[in-house]
Amino acid sequence: MFNTRLTSLIRKEFIQIWRDPRTLVIALLIPVMQLFMLGYAATNDVRNLPMAVFDQDRGPQARALLDAYRASDYFLIAYDVDSEADIRQLIDDGDARVGLIIPPDYGRKLEAEDETEVIFVFDGSDATSTQTALAAAQQIGNQHSTAIQLKRLEKAGMADAIETPVEIRTQVWYNPDLEDAYFFVPGLIGQILYMITAILTASAVVRERERGTIEQLIVTPIRPWELVIGKISPYVLIALLNTLATLFVGSWWFGVPVRSGLGLLLALSGLFLLTSLGIGLLASTIANTQQEAMITVFATMLPAIMLSGYLFPVEAMPTWLRWISAAIPLTYYLRIIRALLVKGVGIASLQSEILALIGFGILLMGAASLRFRKRLD
Amino acid sequence: MFNSRLSSIIRKEFIQIWRDPRTLMLALLIPIMQLFLLGYAATNDVRNLPLAVFDQDRGPAARALLDAYRAADYFKIAFDVDSETDIQDLIEAGEARLGMIIPPNYSTLIQGNGKAEVIFIFDGSDPASASTALAAAQQIGWQFATKIQQQRLSQAGIPVSTDLPLEVRTQVWYNPDLVDAYFMVPAIIGMILFAITSILTATTIVRERERGTMEQLIVTPIRPWELVVGKMLPYVILAMTNTVEVLVIGSWWFHVPIRGSLTLILLLSGLFLITSLSIGLLASTIANTQQEAMLTVWMLLLPTLFLSGFFFPLEAMPLVLRWVSYVLPLRYYLVIIRSLMLKGASVLALKNEIIALTIFGIVLMTTAAVRFRKRLD
Repeated sequence: MFNTRLTSLIRKEFIQIWRDPRTLVIALLIPVMQLFMLGYAATNDVRNLPMAVFDQDRGPQARALLDAYRASDYFLIAYDVDSEADIRQLIDDGDARVGLIIPPDYGRKLEAEDETEVIFVFDGSDATSTQTALAAAQQIGNQHSTAIQLKRLEKAGMADAIETPVEIRTQVWYNPDLEDAYFFVPGLIGQILYMITAILTASAVVRERERGTIEQLIVTPIRPWELVIGKISPYVLIALLNTLATLFVGSWWFGVPVRSGLGLLLALSGLFLLTSLGIGLLASTIANTQQEAMITVFATMLPAIMLSGYLFPVEAMPTWLRWISAAIPLTYYLRIIRALLVKGVGIASLQSEILALIGFGILLMGAASLRFRKRLD
Repeated sequence: MFNSRLSSIIRKEFIQIWRDPRTLMLALLIPIMQLFLLGYAATNDVRNLPLAVFDQDRGPAARALLDAYRAADYFKIAFDVDSETDIQDLIEAGEARLGMIIPPNYSTLIQGNGKAEVIFIFDGSDPASASTALAAAQQIGWQFATKIQQQRLSQAGIPVSTDLPLEVRTQVWYNPDLVDAYFMVPAIIGMILFAITSILTATTIVRERERGTMEQLIVTPIRPWELVVGKMLPYVILAMTNTVEVLVIGSWWFHVPIRGSLTLILLLSGLFLITSLSIGLLASTIANTQQEAMLTVWMLLLPTLFLSGFFFPLEAMPLVLRWVSYVLPLRYYLVIIRSLMLKGASVLALKNEIIALTIFGIVLMTTAAVRFRKRLD
């Protein structure tokens, strides 16, 4: 397979990459940069939300409640205000994200074994982090409330009657501390394999056409399949290097586990690579200029990133978007790579995903090489 | 200001945009595509997670518990299994996302006033949706347990108030239903104003240089500032069209409110536009080819998207990254546009952000203009 024609073509391609060091450096740096940004920034797990408290009671009971909220690191009691209008002002200005209103008779009612209520106000403009804060506020309030009730029952001498009848115990598998990096690092590998190979392949082929050097290549004894393989293989190498770099930094710096065999991981990554190369090659047959090729690849990349489950879970999408997501190869690769790294499953659990990728690979590569041959003629 | 030299260069630029309909179409379509993708896909609010239940009890008490979980739309009881290994297999294959184990003596314990324990197992490989599910599982279980306890207490004739002593009432302002689109749609305007404007400005200038037509422009009587203004104005109009486009579809289709004044929104968007135009102009003075210009802008775009609060809340980031976010103009604009649209904020509440954007605009514009003049000479 590696005859002299092919090797000289590959050598030419490597020389070309080497002579454009800026693109090479960017291609090698972007994954690491993304890794660090996603590893640290990509979390909705908001802590220390600034809270404004309007405490109309200021008794020991109200202080105990505030202590309960202070003890959790969800809220930071940043403002102590004297009216509801102040809370409104602080939230309007974005200085506080949460407001808490304690009624004037809070302590008196609790001491009289009566019921009372406190009001939480949330800035809903960031729906996701508000949801977390809302659940935390209720959870902490419930715990505090249960503690008060317990004390009351104890005082009444019925301590044994009040044990919780059902206890919910929870276990989280694969990622007990719910680290966000376990989700983003595998996703990043998929995104890099897809983006870098598709863009670089498309622009490498189109560049020859734009500069007219593809004619020179055609009149040499090189056969079409050799041309394709020769142009593609350097980028396969770069993509695999990127994968290994991301994997290494991800597990060494962010502690993401690599629970299954590296051989299986690389084999299935290679399978996925076929589909991204196919997309890049297809884009190169559609586009006439490098700019068009870039825009074409980006146009497929946007839905791929948004709908594949890279940033947002596929289960949370409406049905029609899930259908589109099922037509994107990256969706299947992300399921594979996450399962391999984080769950450490074997090939048997991934059958349908692997079959889907094989189907996409054959389809895209077939279509791309057909169109590529046609454009050569 | 609109002398004949300036208007003829503006006309030339419009003709050039018009002659490249593919880029124009993409520039007009990408915002709509993003709006729909992000409007529907950008949510972590997972519902109907497939749950595998291993019910060893199968008595009426266990059924009541399952009914409580079924009633909430967080979980869908998708599998009824007969062993813990089945749960493990289903979670490994990704078919179930969580498992629930009810002990064999559950009903006996509950009916005999004992204490039962239910175990929940979560697939932690997607931590964001796992933590939502975890909170929901605990909350539902806690409510259910409280109900049983109340029944027990009233059966025993204990004269303790069955209501909880403290109720936490919550209000969510601006976005009571916690719709994620309210967060994403205003941000898309910011992203488009930044990305499309800076990429198009950078490439349109570099293209003249790449094709050698820049020299032709310089030898005409056009002054440098006329050249810059003339080349940018068409893209300002395009960006403003995009803004209105997103505003109209966002409020008509996604029902995102526009509570602030429209004039103020457009005015401050114009202020932000100056910073994006300057970044594009700066990139054009650094790059020699269109590809380099694109890559330069992309290198900036990546941190901007992740660190400006576009996808992920600033409050959730580590301190170092929050410092980095202060040098990104988009960070301030996102606060402005979200506050204007969702909160109906006044100029006064946004004064810090407006001052920051003004400073960025002046500094970036001056640097870009100085560098641009130098490259012309």
